[in-house]
Amino acid sequence: MNIFQLVWRNSFRKKTRFSLTCISVMIAFFLFSILAGINHALTSNVSSNNQYRLLTSHKISLARSLPINYQQKISAIAGVDSVSYASWFGGYFKDETNQLAVLAVDHNSYFEMFDEYDIAKSQLEQWKNTRTGLVVGQAIANKYGWTIGDKVPLSSSIWMNRDGVFTWQFTVSAIYQSADNTHDEKQIFFQHAYFDKGRAYARNTVSWFTPKVAEQADIDEVSQQIDTLFANSNGATRTTTEQIFIKERVQQFVDMAMVIKVVVIAVFFTLLLIVCNTMVQSNRERLNESAMMKALGFSSRFLIAQVYLESFFLLALGALLGCVFAQLCLVYVSHLFADFLPGIAIDNGHYFNVILLVFLAATLCSLLPALTLKRLTISTTLGAKA
Amino acid sequence: MKMNNQNKIAIHLNKINKSYQKGNNKVVVHDDFNLSIAEGEFVALMGPSGLGKSTLLHLIGGLDLPTSGSVTIGDRRIDTLSEALLSTWRAENIGFVFQSHHLLPVLTAQGNVELPLLLTPLNSKQRKQHASLALRLVGMEDRSKHLPKELSGGQEQRVAIARAIVSDPKIILCDEPTGNLDRKTADEVLTLLATLNKDFGKTIVMVTHDLRASEYASRVINLEQYIEKGKQSQLSAAEVNL
Repeated sequence: MNIFQLVWRNSFRKKTRFSLTCISVMIAFFLFSILAGINHALTSNVSSNNQYRLLTSHKISLARSLPINYQQKISAIAGVDSVSYASWFGGYFKDETNQLAVLAVDHNSYFEMFDEYDIAKSQLEQWKNTRTGLVVGQAIANKYGWTIGDKVPLSSSIWMNRDGVFTWQFTVSAIYQSADNTHDEKQIFFQHAYFDKGRAYARNTVSWFTPKVAEQADIDEVSQQIDTLFANSNGATRTTTEQIFIKERVQQFVDMAMVIKVVVIAVFFTLLLIVCNTMVQSNRERLNESAMMKALGFSSRFLIAQVYLESFFLLALGALLGCVFAQLCLVYVSHLFADFLPGIAIDNGHYFNVILLVFLAATLCSLLPALTLKRLTISTTLGAKA
Repeated sequence: MKMNNQNKIAIHLNKINKSYQKGNNKVVVHDDFNLSIAEGEFVALMGPSGLGKSTLLHLIGGLDLPTSGSVTIGDRRIDTLSEALLSTWRAENIGFVFQSHHLLPVLTAQGNVELPLLLTPLNSKQRKQHASLALRLVGMEDRSKHLPKELSGGQEQRVAIARAIVSDPKIILCDEPTGNLDRKTADEVLTLLATLNKDFGKTIVMVTHDLRASEYASRVINLEQYIEKGKQSQLSAAEVNL
């Protein structure tokens, strides 16, 4: 027999109460893990291999264009390796309900810089040589049954072409897959040259540039230099890392980090009350036994350690079950939403947070019982006042 | 029965004052109380309720501290020890048997008896051996795997006695050990305590209301008369033969 066996036996003294409390803990950590998994999906593009890529857009709004000749000027800045650019086409297929993410990109540099898109070399070459060519994500190709060589009309709600219509003609030249299975396979790209020449207005402009910084260069300094270069022009810029840019875009849709924080705080506050109440009640029921143990020579510290370990065991078991169920659930959900929201998964950092929370909650839940045990008077508790 | 003065003093209470604050009232339990008990004595403390018998026992066991005065056990004054030191001292020197045995319901008889040994440097195997030996001494070896709820009152008290002696303390303090037992079972428990006193030389101090229990003791102190005598003559000890 040792303290751990004692903790084990005491934990299961009231099986129903233990089970119900454990389920509460499990649900809290389940929710926490599910939200973390979804947050991972929303930010997974942020944390991939693009730490050296910047994004330079108009200072006022992403909707405002920048002159295309900024490419040469940005390329000339020390520390900039290469510069690509893209413009937002918007777009839909046949019906406005079939909204698509379509980008016009610099065909010479874009896929050299964005190597997370896995495209067969021959297809990429074919695309570069086809003025109206499209690079289509596998998910979109599957959805509409597109194959290489198919003629595809795409309409834009923003860009009218020189013929005075909003529908543009394209040919599927390449199909890409996500190189690491964490990127969206629902995007469509076409040549910026075709876009620029074909559109009725705003020619020689782009929506944003993506400068790639040399590994040894200081990213903050390069960003600052780019913005300083255009500071006093009509096309003043704002340069951030691609990670920050995507985070900001995601936050425009929903501030997932804030949602997680709010949910986690609410859930854990409730959880703390429940577990605290359980531990206080359990401790109160055993005051005579605790007094007896003190009489036998056990110190207050031993009894407090016992209560702490019981809290920790209860929380750790609930957290473990919650994380396991969330993991199983997310495997199913990630499969279900593979096209819509790729990258749903729990990363190791989340488990570190869970462990930290368990330790913190165990400490807080043990405080009141610890205080009671510290103040426990043996003679009073064992009933000898006179 | 007179205390053998040649014996070494095991317990010495000197000018003990003990009072409690109960609301606005101060309740004086002991006032200038003196008591000496020799090593190997089996002392029964008797008297009506409210005289402070259990309080006395708790003072001897270091479970409570006097308002003033000194408590010396063997050569050590214990009323000045810190809580931590007092806990260690109790684990090494005192065994307790209470009316409500306070066995841990989640542990078997073996587990309950092993409990005080967690505070010793003994390893798991040695703890088991010691606990088995203690259970054999109280005749409970065959019930070692039973939970307290599976034992009778007398058996529970035997296990509590095994727990009190397992770490081989010099002094065993018993607070109404037969209070919840029938006559036959009470006699068995008292015989066991008497054996521990005679054969193993344990000093036993027992608080009891049971006149029959006093027959097993080597000295009976009626606290009411003892206090009265103390007040009249300032004697350090009094003996009452019942």
